[in-house]
Amino acid sequence: MSGLRAWSARQYWPAFFYLLPAAVFYTLFVLRPLGQTAWVSLFTWDGITEGRWVGADNYSALLDDGRIPSAIAHSLVFVVFYAVFPVALGLFLAALMSRIRVRGLSFFRAVLFLPQILATVVVAVSWRWIYDIDGPLNAGLRAVGLGSLARAWLGDYDTALPAVGIVGTWVMYGLCMVLFLAGVQKIPTELYESARLDGCGPIREFFTVTLPALRGEIAIALVLTITYALRNFDLVWNTTAGGPGTSTTVPSVFVYQGAFLTHEVGSAAAISVCLTAVVLVVTGVIMRLVRGKEG
Amino acid sequence: MKSLRWTAVAGIALTGILATACGVPGAGGTTVASDLAGGPVTQRVTAEDVKAMGDTKLRVLADAGEENTLKALVPLYEKKYPNVKVEVATKGFDDLMKTVVNSMSGSDAPDLAQGNQGYGTDGPLVKAGLIRPLDDVMRTYGWENTFTEGALKQYRWSPDGSIFGSGSLYGISPATEYVGVFYNTDKLAKLGIAPPQTYAEFTAALDRVKAAGEQPIMLGNAEKYPASQVIGLVQGQNVPSRDVRSWISGVPGTTVADPGTVDAARTVQDWAAQGYFGPGYNGISSDDAVAKFGAGEGAFLVAGSWNAPSLQENMNGKVGFTLPARADGTRATVGSLGLGWHIGAKTKKLPAAVAFLDLLMSDEFAQTIADVGRTPVTGAGKVKAGSPVVEQVNTIGLKLLVDDGQNFYLDWASTTMYDTIGAKTQDLLAKHTSPSGFAKALQDDREAFAAKQRADRKAAS
Repeated sequence: MSGLRAWSARQYWPAFFYLLPAAVFYTLFVLRPLGQTAWVSLFTWDGITEGRWVGADNYSALLDDGRIPSAIAHSLVFVVFYAVFPVALGLFLAALMSRIRVRGLSFFRAVLFLPQILATVVVAVSWRWIYDIDGPLNAGLRAVGLGSLARAWLGDYDTALPAVGIVGTWVMYGLCMVLFLAGVQKIPTELYESARLDGCGPIREFFTVTLPALRGEIAIALVLTITYALRNFDLVWNTTAGGPGTSTTVPSVFVYQGAFLTHEVGSAAAISVCLTAVVLVVTGVIMRLVRGKEG
Repeated sequence: MKSLRWTAVAGIALTGILATACGVPGAGGTTVASDLAGGPVTQRVTAEDVKAMGDTKLRVLADAGEENTLKALVPLYEKKYPNVKVEVATKGFDDLMKTVVNSMSGSDAPDLAQGNQGYGTDGPLVKAGLIRPLDDVMRTYGWENTFTEGALKQYRWSPDGSIFGSGSLYGISPATEYVGVFYNTDKLAKLGIAPPQTYAEFTAALDRVKAAGEQPIMLGNAEKYPASQVIGLVQGQNVPSRDVRSWISGVPGTTVADPGTVDAARTVQDWAAQGYFGPGYNGISSDDAVAKFGAGEGAFLVAGSWNAPSLQENMNGKVGFTLPARADGTRATVGSLGLGWHIGAKTKKLPAAVAFLDLLMSDEFAQTIADVGRTPVTGAGKVKAGSPVVEQVNTIGLKLLVDDGQNFYLDWASTTMYDTIGAKTQDLLAKHTSPSGFAKALQDDREAFAAKQRADRKAAS
């Protein structure tokens, strides 16, 4: 109790008024829908007629739903493609670009960032064309004598998941790179100089100076990309719609189907509540791990 | 310190939740109309009846595929009933399916709207009491003389929307659509193959095309449903229409895991294994497949009759259409009447809405429906088609109705069937599941749906 009093004595209360407008909007458009979703998840509801209270039944039904484990497995694969690869690629590009003076750097930076600002549907449609049986990827393979590898990449059970994953890598690496480049520019040049004086090569320099200094940026990048990977829906829906078969389904696909196609709003809400919880936990763990105590 | 901050955040979150957790979702939003909107229709609506409404607006929500029909219909209607202004809103099919139920439950619902047959869309519309039964209109206008009872079943529902295929009529459409076989006339002539009229001739033709080193069937299955229509076409050869439809409408004790359907699945799986569909069909969209066929790829295209006008144009008339007959000469295939037109349960403009359906369903309008490239059931068979291939489509379409061979669409059978059948068809073609596994998965889906319906009914009573 004394802690609370001490805390409250230290506050500059008028500051809270400045938070008020944002807090109102946040409550209205984020917390309220969130609460509503959680509430709806306790009902069987078709979206129109009166819902029926079922308590936690929607959640226990999820545990029995055979489609969920494979969807989660696909999501984990997407985490590798949407988060791990882009961060690694972004780090590599940032290290490269910070060492070498490239003419027209800002141009390249803008071009590499481009995938991030394109609408997902545009990205999906373009990649569908690239992966098409008669598309440029297969044409290229045939041109170099690898025609036997040509296939409908998004329609093949073995390749659909990584094919969609690579699209995600392409979308996300630009963001990571820009974040890391900004971070690199804040690193005092003295650090690099002293590292060089100590005889560090470029690789050693990267691991002893650049990487530790980018800790915060890496945490942000991971949170953004992993969140994107876990809630990923638009890319999957617009490239494969979860197919072929169910080889690229993710939990969000079931949210969409439940809410808009099969009129099972309650169970769709339950899935999204679980998804939200997972995202919160995962991002919380990352913040802890990567940012350390300062977080 | 930190825990306090979290307490504050949690407090805000909790307030947000409490602020919303104030009632049962959907409660009080919709009341099921117990009376017929506008009272029963006992005689034909006259121009005077409509005129008596004064200057008014009729709001119509339709599928984008209906645009050309409505462009012709609305001016005719407004000329006949000058006091009514028709306001049409159209949406793409997917979009319409996702929104029509909510549009009809809104406070300013349209007077007329199109749904889709089956448990996915029309079911919820009936269940929520959002559309008006049309039995009285049907009797007054004699629609039961235009359509066979088998075909009308697709618009019939029990009042609680739980059983379709019997009960009151809730929708109507003047057009018919079905899946058949387009063929490239040049290619068949070059290979010396006569257009197949029977199923035996069709399979023989496929083998000959394959033997000549060409791709027998163009297929684009990226959307997952087109290959299921191929299975449906073969199923029509093996299984009586009545059985297929009973299963779709959910008659207890029926099964889709019957030898005929399993056989159809095996046939299509074999075709895929033998390369009859060419490579990469799961990565080709159905539109692209139609375009590729139009550009001369593949000898046959199994697709909806609605593709006839565009194929006629793209192939400069080098296209024909057939529906292979069964051994007894009758035909059956995946098909239905058009998306049902519904009158909103809350409409205050019943005479105008009924007059709209009357004009749409009239024999005088049938030629216009044919002119926009569709197959009218109305028009007493006197309609002229704009091209030979459309003529073939129309002739066979009417014959199909006489044979009572509209098998409907398997995905009407439950709210999740569209998804199940799509995924399982891809699994089947890639040999990730067996023909009997395919049929069993469909059966399991419908049984799960039936169990859910039972639970809903039990909870409601």
